[in-house]
Amino acid sequence: MKPAPFRYERPTTLDEAVALLIEDDEAKVIAGGQSLLPLLSLRLARPSLLVDLSDLRELETISAISDGHGEPEAIRLGAMVRHHRVASQNLHPLAAEAARWIGHTAIRSRGTIGGSLAHADPAAEMPALALALGAIVHVHGSQGDRRIPIEGFLVGPLQTTLAHDEVLVAIELPLPRRWGFAEVARKHGDFALVLVVAVELADGWRLVAGGLGGVPIRLSEAEALLNAEVANGEGDLPLAEVADLARATVSPSPNLHAGPGYLAAITGQLVEQSLRQAHLC
Amino acid sequence: MTPVTRKEDHRLLIGRGRYVSDLQLPRMAHVAFVRSISAHAKINEVDTTEAEALPGVRRVFTADSPALVGLGLRAKSALPSYVETEQPALARGVVRFVGEAVAAVVADDRYLAEDGAELVFVDDERLPVSVCAWAPPAAPIHRDAPDNVLVHRVFDHGDTETALAGAHTVVRRSLITNRHAGNPMECRATVALWDDHQHLTLWSGTQIPHLVRNLLAELLGVAESNVRVIAPDVGGGFGVKAVLYPEDLALCAMARTMVGTALKWVEDRVEHLHAASHARDHRYDVEAGFAEDGQLLGLKVDAWCNVGAYSVYPWTAGIEPLMAGGLFTGPYRLDHYHCEVRGVATNTAPSGPYRGVARPATVFAMEAMLDSGARALGMSGAEIRRRNLILPTDIPYRMPTGLVDDSGHYLECFDQALDLIGYDALVTEQARRKATGGKPLGIGFAVYNELTGLGRAASAGPRMPFRTGHEACTVRVNPDGRIVVLSGVTSQGQGLETTLAQVVAEAVGVGYDDVEVRYGDTNESLWGFGAFSSRQAVIGGGAASTAAVAVRDQILELAAELYEANAADLTLVDGRVLVAGSPDAIGSLADVARVAYLESNRLPKGFSPGLEATRFYDPVLGAFAGGAQVAAVEVDPATGELTILDWVCVEDTGRVINAQIVEGQVMGSLAQGFGGALYEHLIYDRDGNLNTGTLVDYLMPTAAEMPEFRLGHVEHPADNPLGVRGVGEGGTLGPAAVLAGAVADAVGVEVDQLPITPARLWSLLHEPDRAHQ
Repeated sequence: MKPAPFRYERPTTLDEAVALLIEDDEAKVIAGGQSLLPLLSLRLARPSLLVDLSDLRELETISAISDGHGEPEAIRLGAMVRHHRVASQNLHPLAAEAARWIGHTAIRSRGTIGGSLAHADPAAEMPALALALGAIVHVHGSQGDRRIPIEGFLVGPLQTTLAHDEVLVAIELPLPRRWGFAEVARKHGDFALVLVVAVELADGWRLVAGGLGGVPIRLSEAEALLNAEVANGEGDLPLAEVADLARATVSPSPNLHAGPGYLAAITGQLVEQSLRQAHLC
Repeated sequence: MTPVTRKEDHRLLIGRGRYVSDLQLPRMAHVAFVRSISAHAKINEVDTTEAEALPGVRRVFTADSPALVGLGLRAKSALPSYVETEQPALARGVVRFVGEAVAAVVADDRYLAEDGAELVFVDDERLPVSVCAWAPPAAPIHRDAPDNVLVHRVFDHGDTETALAGAHTVVRRSLITNRHAGNPMECRATVALWDDHQHLTLWSGTQIPHLVRNLLAELLGVAESNVRVIAPDVGGGFGVKAVLYPEDLALCAMARTMVGTALKWVEDRVEHLHAASHARDHRYDVEAGFAEDGQLLGLKVDAWCNVGAYSVYPWTAGIEPLMAGGLFTGPYRLDHYHCEVRGVATNTAPSGPYRGVARPATVFAMEAMLDSGARALGMSGAEIRRRNLILPTDIPYRMPTGLVDDSGHYLECFDQALDLIGYDALVTEQARRKATGGKPLGIGFAVYNELTGLGRAASAGPRMPFRTGHEACTVRVNPDGRIVVLSGVTSQGQGLETTLAQVVAEAVGVGYDDVEVRYGDTNESLWGFGAFSSRQAVIGGGAASTAAVAVRDQILELAAELYEANAADLTLVDGRVLVAGSPDAIGSLADVARVAYLESNRLPKGFSPGLEATRFYDPVLGAFAGGAQVAAVEVDPATGELTILDWVCVEDTGRVINAQIVEGQVMGSLAQGFGGALYEHLIYDRDGNLNTGTLVDYLMPTAAEMPEFRLGHVEHPADNPLGVRGVGEGGTLGPAAVLAGAVADAVGVEVDQLPITPARLWSLLHEPDRAHQ
């Protein structure tokens, strides 16, 4: 379990990082290394050059974005913000809660939000969180800057639309009005078997599940029912029906630890749990 | 004994332990093994040309290299059914499991060695693959065993068919247990260095240094005195380091062609999961017949143990099947027993010794039968166990397999456990929940026994060419009056430096701080089989105590002459020589030792210089240990999640030398059993690929997954010098049985297959047809 040989560079400016990527087709950006290093050690990834972003201090800022009335409506997290900082900031309580579910202390101390999004593990917390919030991914490349809506960023398991010569710079996470986050993993700190994020945004509720397939997914039918019921506004919300609909409409891929029936059932459970956490009843 | 500070803790806790991987020697080279990606294949060619050309690579070895020709491991047993097979040092002609070492690359560092390993090309032709021990074999794995059965034995006592036919109730179940890796924190590690063609030093994280010395000397054709095996600090073993592996043999043979160059191999976790020994991939088809009052009348067992691709060296493929059949019936009275066990070779990693050896599986199966019997008869799980446990009045009890149980304090353990957990209140709470629709609550039980510290008679079963019944220990007084203990048994973190120091300090009559314990170097201690089957305290402690008593006698005899007293009136307390009836010391051990070593002019007539004794100890039989575990478990039917509300374990530990160490051992084995019941499982696909080849997929539990275990003790001294019983394994025996029993008690589904995952339990509850496929 030793990596194949690679060159290593630690640029001090973003443009220098991009230049290094352009120079070498087999180059790979490394942030906290919590996903990439095991892949290197297993020789499943064999970049010829590692471009380490650790010295790009400008990627470590957390800032609030306000609307026209000076009210915060989103936060912007630099790509190199470590999970433990996301977990301990109080501008975005949902992001803090989601970050607490990532791995163990050692992993949260080094792993970064940008690394997690760029790695795009389908069972990871940050991609699902970003999808639920309709996040905007900021990237910088040789062609300039791009703002990519998260739906257009996550395209498959470990696949994004980030170009080879682009560096993920920051992520903008809208602030939800209400939210819930629920996860089931086999062990403390493991990748989720299933995780569900429920958020209320300006245009209504969104429900997102991670772990069921190649990318996190919107639970569209359940969302529609929930939003219709919320619009109705009469009496208690039928959370169990929303959860049942979520369970009935997902088609999870089985894995080593669980079959599709169980994963669907857990999805339903987590939908209900996250909506209760969102004080929707 | 008085509580003491553990001698090894400071060194280990501040990171000053010295493990094999810490060893740096001049000109050291590093080894990476090329491992098979085919589960079963004929090897056409191993092409090493490119690897050898890589800068930094010094040598590449295959089975055809002169150093390795004809070199292999043949585990021997005189059992009539046993089929002896060979495990080559590097695969020769055929590979038999994914992960088997096919070639070895020696390079300047491990990175380069792995770079080289990637450039070794194995051209092979795939053969049919078997991974399941109870499915029809796809192809013979060894020529000499066409049906893949390497060992087969029938245990038969009484008339089981008649007993079952006459039983009031017969229950039948088919139980499948899961496959485990040992996973010590430190994986395997070996350094081999030859000073010349005949002198080998081997540093190895082994549990059995003297046995390794003996075996290697024979395999390599050198004098045993020319082989030195050193096991420095070892980071856990659990049995998987009580094996001599083909990698060790290959390393020695390769290093012999590179005299003066130390070859180092430190196993990584992927290698460990693929190629260190596995355990507990078993199936038990069981019929149990009960009388109306719950008495167990007869038991018929058909068992298959997956022994993997090779017969584990030197213990043989019999290690699990023989233990399974021999101790299946546990602490229960039984007259009619028929058990057929088979050790079946498959294209998976070899199975070997692992904490609990087979019994976590058999206890799961045996307790499952009692639970099913109780349900069928409308009794409680507590009542049916009470009805059948071996009692002190039955002792000595000859088990249907012939083993003689000298313990029999199971009911006392069980009653204490029920009392500790508040059984009656739990039953009330269970009924309340049933009535009010609360979350289902189940109570699970396991009562078990185990033979620890096996003496020469007890270790006869596998009929290997050696008998592991004894240990030697040397107790030496140094000229300054302080004591060195040279132990044959070894430690992988069990606190043996502390325990043996306590034993010797007490027996000699010196302070704990004046005793230093050394082990793990075959040039220091005379002989020891090492650490396995919970034998360190029983046998190693017995040897240490016996040697210490002999040294105390020497000291007092010399002191009697020096101080003109009667030896029978003298005692040694904290290093001071006292005469009976007087609190004032008449001399000290330091004075006596000085005379013994430095002032021969003062030596009385007839006395030789020196103060030292070496003694062997063999308990001949062994010490049966027993225990009971009871847990209260809440089941969430919607998610299949289990919540442990309470868990108690009461063991008969015999006399306790060090309470902290005993509790640590019981806690550790409970944790390992708990992980084995709920999380750990090695999964092969039908092509023989290991799907759980990293710790992402092989789920090792952490402290966060552990419930609070509450311990109780019963201390009935065993029949050995210290009155101790082995405590290192018992805890692992209970959890699978307890959890499966609790689940059945709570929600009425029988768990026939381990591990008990939320997904499996959910499936049993919500899609039973699919779950039983």
